[in-house]
Amino acid sequence: MRSRSGPLQRMKSRPPSRTGRCPLFRAVLRALVPPVWRTLPWRAAALAGAGGLLLAGSTRLPERVPDQGAGWAVLRLVALLGAVAFGFILDDPARHTTAAAPVGRAVRAGLRTALALPVAAVWWTTALLLIPGPARPPAGPVTVEAAAMATTALALATAVIRCTDGTRPGRTTAARLALAAPALALVPDRWGLLGVPGEPWWTGTQVRWASVLCLTALWCAVATPEPLRRWRPGHGRPGDRPGRTSAAR
Amino acid sequence: MTAAPTTLTASGLTLRYGGTRALDDVSLSLTRGVTGLLGPNGAGKTTLLRVLATAVPPDGGEFRALGHDPRGSAGRLALRRELGYLPQTPGFHPDFTAFAFVDYVAILKELTDRGARHREVRRVLDAVDLGEVRGKRLKRLSGGMRQRVALAAALVGDPGFLVLDEPTVGLDPEQRMRFRELIAEAGEGRTVLLSTHQTEDVAMLCHRVVVLAHGRVRFEGTPAELTARAAGRVWSSDRRDPAARAGWRTGTGTFRNVGDPPEGADLLEPTLEDGYLLTLDGESAGVTA
Repeated sequence: MRSRSGPLQRMKSRPPSRTGRCPLFRAVLRALVPPVWRTLPWRAAALAGAGGLLLAGSTRLPERVPDQGAGWAVLRLVALLGAVAFGFILDDPARHTTAAAPVGRAVRAGLRTALALPVAAVWWTTALLLIPGPARPPAGPVTVEAAAMATTALALATAVIRCTDGTRPGRTTAARLALAAPALALVPDRWGLLGVPGEPWWTGTQVRWASVLCLTALWCAVATPEPLRRWRPGHGRPGDRPGRTSAAR
Repeated sequence: MTAAPTTLTASGLTLRYGGTRALDDVSLSLTRGVTGLLGPNGAGKTTLLRVLATAVPPDGGEFRALGHDPRGSAGRLALRRELGYLPQTPGFHPDFTAFAFVDYVAILKELTDRGARHREVRRVLDAVDLGEVRGKRLKRLSGGMRQRVALAAALVGDPGFLVLDEPTVGLDPEQRMRFRELIAEAGEGRTVLLSTHQTEDVAMLCHRVVVLAHGRVRFEGTPAELTARAAGRVWSSDRRDPAARAGWRTGTGTFRNVGDPPEGADLLEPTLEDGYLLTLDGESAGVTA
């Protein structure tokens, strides 16, 4: 092992100015794309994606003539499958090994999500187009629902990471989504999330889905950046607030 | 001889989980070279290492390492750029090759120049004797090899401060010897904090040792000073001495006792482990054999 000096230190030298950090960040992002692409949960995505497309394709079977209500139900199930796959995006077996890296988890999580989004968009568009025209729900509202389900999955996975030492929140998230989905059916239609166009509470349904989308996205943005707890200044004794995470155990 | 300059100072570090104080007013200082961190299970070693590796902030107290104060994001980033961290249970992406994984960590350490980065990755893999298997997938490597991949990942980027959490756990004696060599080499010109249960590792590698128990520092000094704590307090006898804090039958059939010897006892040369046991002084349930 060589002593500390030499070319590597020069390679690592960075411009001190704030503007000098942007090219470095862009270069890091470019270099990170291939390995992060490889770490995406392709197996879960393939399973959920294939299941979703089969489900959407089943509406084209000749003996079936679905109405728009059936189209909504099928697409909501397809979206749920997509959300389950999204829950695996934050799985990172190397979480602890990379815990002290200068490029933090938030950057990696953002990059993973950004790389997954185009694939998810193509998949979702395909699923939409597989639903026969007369049965196909309006693309806007149903896509908002799908996006809200996906961000809910991400928010649940983020919560698992923030509150535990776990490195693979995907399974826990999938289980929670699977439990939550049937529970939605028990909520009275007036307050629920499963309304369809034409019903008197349809506007409320859309507002609630949009609220879920905004709140879960906000939670992801707030809870993802490190450190998981806040630094407290000075030498003071710990306050009353107990540690919220076991991440450092 | 002039004293080595201090590279890390910590004062009053405190961290609690619910009602448990994992760290309780921990203060210590480190210099270049390998410092051993000893303590029983649950002493707070891993927590202290994670705090010093900036993986988790403390509830109270502060520290500076290599001139950086990690309480602010700029200081934390500056410290992380000079930090190598090997966690207690390193995880990997199993489908990555050893080279690809260390390369990934190198990118996370902001080594963006592809050619220079690949040279650096090859250098650290060669340093841990994995140059031959760098193209093998991690899931096909043995536990000891994966542990060396984790060490290579910690070493990549030539960090000035290495935090190693029980790196020799689960290794066979030959692998442990090789690891000792690697850590000793890493300690040349760097600040290395090595958490371990193995007192032999500390005796052979470390120029300083810190003993932690119940989240508090019980001893900070040289291995010789820790060993000296047991001077005149280790003796042999034909039977287990009930007055001993710890006693066990040795290979020769006599008992080796540690504690307060009776008058006229046959005193033995103490070891670092004896000093460690007496420093803990019954704080861990496993001290008295």
